[in-house]
Amino acid sequence: MAYMSMSLHAVNHRLTNVPVKHLPHFASSIAASISNCGELLSTPQSQKAKADSDNAVQVHKLMTRLGSLLQDRTYEGRWTAVVLVKALVEAGQWEILRGCEPFVRGLISILAKSDPVSTKKMCIITLTRIFHLTYQYPTLVREITTPALPGFITAALNLISVKPSSEPIRRLKPNTPFVEVVLQAFGELIARHPTIFRPFTSQIHSILQTIIGSTSPTFSELVLDIAQKLFISLHNCAPKNTGGEEWKSACRMTITSVHATSSYVLRAIMEQWESVDPSLRQMSQPQNYSQEVGNGPDALGLSGWQGLNAGVNRLVVLLRMLSGFVGTATASTVTIPVGAILDLTARLNMVTVPSGDNNIQANPQIGRAEREHLLTELPRIHVACMKLLLHLVNALETSAISVAQTILEQALWIFRAEKFDREVCTAVYDLVSALLTQIGPSMTKQSVSSLTGIIRTCCHDLLPPTGNQAPAAEKPDPKSKNKSNQTTVNADSFLNPGLKQVRQTSSSSSFPYLKRAASDLLVAALAHAPTEFISPALRAEIDRTIILTSDKNAMLSSVLNPFPAMQGRGVGTSIMPFLARSYPAETEVECLIRPRMPVLMNAPATNGYAPMDEDEDEKAEAAVAPQPAPAASGFLKNTPTPSLHHDMMDVEVTRQPTPQSKRSYTEEVEAPAPAPAPSTVPSPGSQSKKARFEPETVTQPPLDAASPATFTGTAAISVPSSSIAGPTPVPTSKPIVSSAKQPSTLQSTSATETAEDDSDDELPSLNIDPDTDDEEDDE
Amino acid sequence: MLSECFIASTLASSKAPASASLRDVGVCVHEFQPTLNLRSTFKKSSTAANCLAVSPSHVFAAQSEKAIVHVYSREKGNQEATVPFPERIRSIAVAGGKNGDVLVLGTEGGRLILWETCTGRQVATTASHLRPVTALVVDPNSNFILSGSSDASVHVWSLVDLLSFTKPPSGRDRQPPNSPIRTFSNHRAAIASIAVGHSTGRYNIAVSAAQDNTAIAWDYHTGRVLRTFLLPSSAISLALDPADRAFYVGYEDGSIQSIDFYKNQSIQHPLHDPSLQSTPSQPPAEDRWAPPSTDCGAAHALTLSYDGMTLLSGHQNGKVLSWAVGRKKYASTAADYTHPVTNLFMLPPNGIPHPSLDLKRVAHTIIKPRYDHTLSESSQAAGAVPADYTFSAHLLPSISKSDSAKPDEFAAAFSHAYFPESMLEEGLAELAAFSQSGSNGAPVSSIAQGISDEELAAKDSQIFQLEEQLAMLKKKSSINETARQSTTEEVTQLRSDLANLHDYVNELHEKQAQAQREKVLRQARKEERETRRREAWFAAEKKGKKGDAVLRKMDAEDTVMTSDTDDQSSDDQ
Repeated sequence: MAYMSMSLHAVNHRLTNVPVKHLPHFASSIAASISNCGELLSTPQSQKAKADSDNAVQVHKLMTRLGSLLQDRTYEGRWTAVVLVKALVEAGQWEILRGCEPFVRGLISILAKSDPVSTKKMCIITLTRIFHLTYQYPTLVREITTPALPGFITAALNLISVKPSSEPIRRLKPNTPFVEVVLQAFGELIARHPTIFRPFTSQIHSILQTIIGSTSPTFSELVLDIAQKLFISLHNCAPKNTGGEEWKSACRMTITSVHATSSYVLRAIMEQWESVDPSLRQMSQPQNYSQEVGNGPDALGLSGWQGLNAGVNRLVVLLRMLSGFVGTATASTVTIPVGAILDLTARLNMVTVPSGDNNIQANPQIGRAEREHLLTELPRIHVACMKLLLHLVNALETSAISVAQTILEQALWIFRAEKFDREVCTAVYDLVSALLTQIGPSMTKQSVSSLTGIIRTCCHDLLPPTGNQAPAAEKPDPKSKNKSNQTTVNADSFLNPGLKQVRQTSSSSSFPYLKRAASDLLVAALAHAPTEFISPALRAEIDRTIILTSDKNAMLSSVLNPFPAMQGRGVGTSIMPFLARSYPAETEVECLIRPRMPVLMNAPATNGYAPMDEDEDEKAEAAVAPQPAPAASGFLKNTPTPSLHHDMMDVEVTRQPTPQSKRSYTEEVEAPAPAPAPSTVPSPGSQSKKARFEPETVTQPPLDAASPATFTGTAAISVPSSSIAGPTPVPTSKPIVSSAKQPSTLQSTSATETAEDDSDDELPSLNIDPDTDDEEDDE
Repeated sequence: MLSECFIASTLASSKAPASASLRDVGVCVHEFQPTLNLRSTFKKSSTAANCLAVSPSHVFAAQSEKAIVHVYSREKGNQEATVPFPERIRSIAVAGGKNGDVLVLGTEGGRLILWETCTGRQVATTASHLRPVTALVVDPNSNFILSGSSDASVHVWSLVDLLSFTKPPSGRDRQPPNSPIRTFSNHRAAIASIAVGHSTGRYNIAVSAAQDNTAIAWDYHTGRVLRTFLLPSSAISLALDPADRAFYVGYEDGSIQSIDFYKNQSIQHPLHDPSLQSTPSQPPAEDRWAPPSTDCGAAHALTLSYDGMTLLSGHQNGKVLSWAVGRKKYASTAADYTHPVTNLFMLPPNGIPHPSLDLKRVAHTIIKPRYDHTLSESSQAAGAVPADYTFSAHLLPSISKSDSAKPDEFAAAFSHAYFPESMLEEGLAELAAFSQSGSNGAPVSSIAQGISDEELAAKDSQIFQLEEQLAMLKKKSSINETARQSTTEEVTQLRSDLANLHDYVNELHEKQAQAQREKVLRQARKEERETRRREAWFAAEKKGKKGDAVLRKMDAEDTVMTSDTDDQSSDDQ
């Protein structure tokens, strides 16, 4: 507190003594000091003791000074004031907010003055932030926001537009630098204060129509994005309970508009599509084919366009708007027209670039030039479609499973025809990954094999584009590879051996989105699609790609979803050694390779399993095996914040070296065991009193010993073969049945690994079932 | 505040509840931690075991001995709808992951009905069970449904197959549509309860308990048995540990038994240890936890707290008992509802962030099943999604804006303690430029700033050009001016010359006229003199004097006179 009052003093001193002309250079440091004083500024006045009265004076002084700076004659003074007001409001919260009414007035008046752009921009942001912060306090909303907000909206609108008198619409000023910030501010506020925005709806609407519908001076993607979001958010302002209706009609109009636009844009092609909606079937109107393609104002009130390029732009903008509809928060329950959206995307996706057997039917009335132009523009439209579908899947999440198969088919049409386009590939990868997380586990073999093409291309995209690696993969003969290299490789690579390396690194950084999407798809395919339906060849290609790209997530999901062992093929293979080599220090890898068994354990007395057997590897034990054995008391207390795992871990670590836990040993093959000396006899009395425990009998094998033996070349995961619990001295009715069968199971499971059986070396393998004996249960 | 609640439902019985607050109550929301108290209740419901399902927004209660499902809204706390179905419902479950917007109903006739509560679509399966469907669970992926029946079989259904409009290319031959993909038939008697593991991977397990005194852990992806447990008596309820380490069984006599998968010190996951899979194991009797009293009746329902260390059981006598898992014994009585407690669900605790449970949308109201829809579905073109297939939900603002990875200046400034450094620097630069250009108005400076150097240079050259032109024009105009001036001067000169000439001419005319007059005068004088001379001559002649002498005298006089006059006249002329 002392520090804070000191720095507040310093702030006031500087504010009053530094000439206003020079204040902007101090603004940043003063603002930092103010935001450090947050605790002091936000202390309620009533709670301040007498000793703090000085602080109160200082706070008051600061507020007064800022208030006068806001009215200052110089630009510098006002600029500084705006910066500091924001810092003060952020730091002081309620205590400052309740007195910030004069600030708000001053800030709004700055908007009308001839201040620099940055002052006004920061002014808008500060005001938005003040309105945003007051939102949670109804009294402050009543006192500050409600009276000031209309003035702010008008001032902001005046910055970007002019209002012809007597009309409820506005015309956008050309080239104003404020469009983005004003729209952002409105987007931030409109959902919270819909009633205040209601009188301005038509004005804002007209501006947004101009921005979204503009074809010749196109706005930046960011501005368009915000404008679309705001356009969608306008439904918040609808009179009570009609917001959902408003949203729905706006969404419907967008869909209609897309249909209308595509009727013109796609006119060079005879469409095969037939709508499932009867009302859309007779929509097509006769067109004048002799004119340049174009359309008048559409259902949304957007202005007309001329020329194919403008038409495609419009189509893409509308599709993105539609994605916005399913991706933006709504005021109330809305009805998403899933069927209509899928109908629309089916129409657009059905027209693809001709490839092989899939040919389009040309419209004879349209010239070749326009048709070819359209075909080159198609990928752009399809990318927008894929993104729309991705937004739909993300919004519906699990409810998308009823339409997921439909969407997947559309994605496959596009991919087959247009995989040459990187944007299309990226969008399709994203969409397929999203679909796999929803419907992956229950995919059939046919569905999975339909994805083969995508996954192969995906691997190809991830691999360094050396061109001659693809044939190398098919022909592993090193000699032929060398030869083909020599014939195809360009001369530069001889002159400069490092060239290849450079190209690899540069190419990997050039399409980051494509790489990310491709790697996500590999992860999704491994994690969600049934691994047994992925063909061995494809799986090998995936694993190879993963190893060559050293993608940790993909490696993990490959290891966690091993290829199921085939009948008579012995153990399955895994890329686990590569993972361990590439990421030895990662937590996930540690979890995977050296698992601490997730055992639900408790006091030994109640367990009735006091003496347990375990391996004799003390060093490994000490190194890696914390024994989950929480004290009973830790479990029993009804703490309001139960965190089981941490409790367990803590207790394990502290209690682990307890000498009470003696071990019995019953494995006949192995080294001499210490005599079973159960220290804890189960007694009913000890059950409730003693908070003792038994270190869990998870046998933690010596991994450092095991690794070299088993991680040789084949990358095989060995089957654990020993350490099955033996009978215990506990008065159980009978020993565990399985121990009797041990020899036979040992033989069956370790047939391929007899060499390793004699040693103690075992690999921990978590829920992997590489055995081949139980396959008859499948299907 | 951190709190944990459970939902319990009861089967109506003849007994009257002790407290008035429990009268008529069929479903209770009960706070379990930190303090035990009744949060809210839903009235007029009577549910049998496995007939209650809870979604984040609603509670679905299938009424016992009836073909209706009561839908209660958890937000509003009232009964939202009563939905009739063609058959009696014997078990229900919620599918659709965290949103829970697909309701699965198992009917008396052995079929499943799937109802998408956000769209109103309804799909019925074949009646693959021969007896009523008594147990239903949906796996965590919401991809598979496990249904157990009194006919001793458990069917595995693919939710995707059932719901998909476009049927995926099917490799299964000769199967009627909407039939189970797998059947598990290792049980020998009616299935009492099924529990499914918490993994979303493909090695997830299911545990089913049947009246043949067995519980079997199996892999529902393959149908393979993982372990058979021989139970001391017939289990009627099951609950699975949150980390799938153990499961708990409730018996008819109210006792509970815990069965730990990890009893055996295997390195391999015990359930996937093939050496154990074919052998049934019998859990020790010590693991059976005795109820506090013998009259508490059958344990119809089990549920585990969030940390997995407290087990709740719902009993026939209306009590909800709490058991300490660690100590393996009865701990306390959590609630007493008088009527038999048939279903228990622990709700996820409030106050702990659940990234995986964050809802992106919420369904405030359900859409009742639309029967016409299902009828028209068959008439639709195969695989097409009908145009009137709509999805009702309230889309919520997403907490994590992961999708908008683009750098957003506004958002950064908005959430910053004051303003980001970059923005301040930009402002400072602008201010500096502003003060340099002098305070001649912001718009100028803002425009000037916006204009690039290139443009400036272009403008400069243009201005230069213009100035040159201007100078030239000025010169021209000055030349013109002087020329004009000179001409006017000339003209005036000429005019004055002309005037002078006129004057001269006039003068000359005057002189001429004068001369004429003088000439006339002289003529007249001459004639006068002549006449006088003649008169004088004549007079002299008359007098007789010599006229000539007089004449001579007169001539002399005359010459003097005439010389004078001649001088004069010559002067004049």
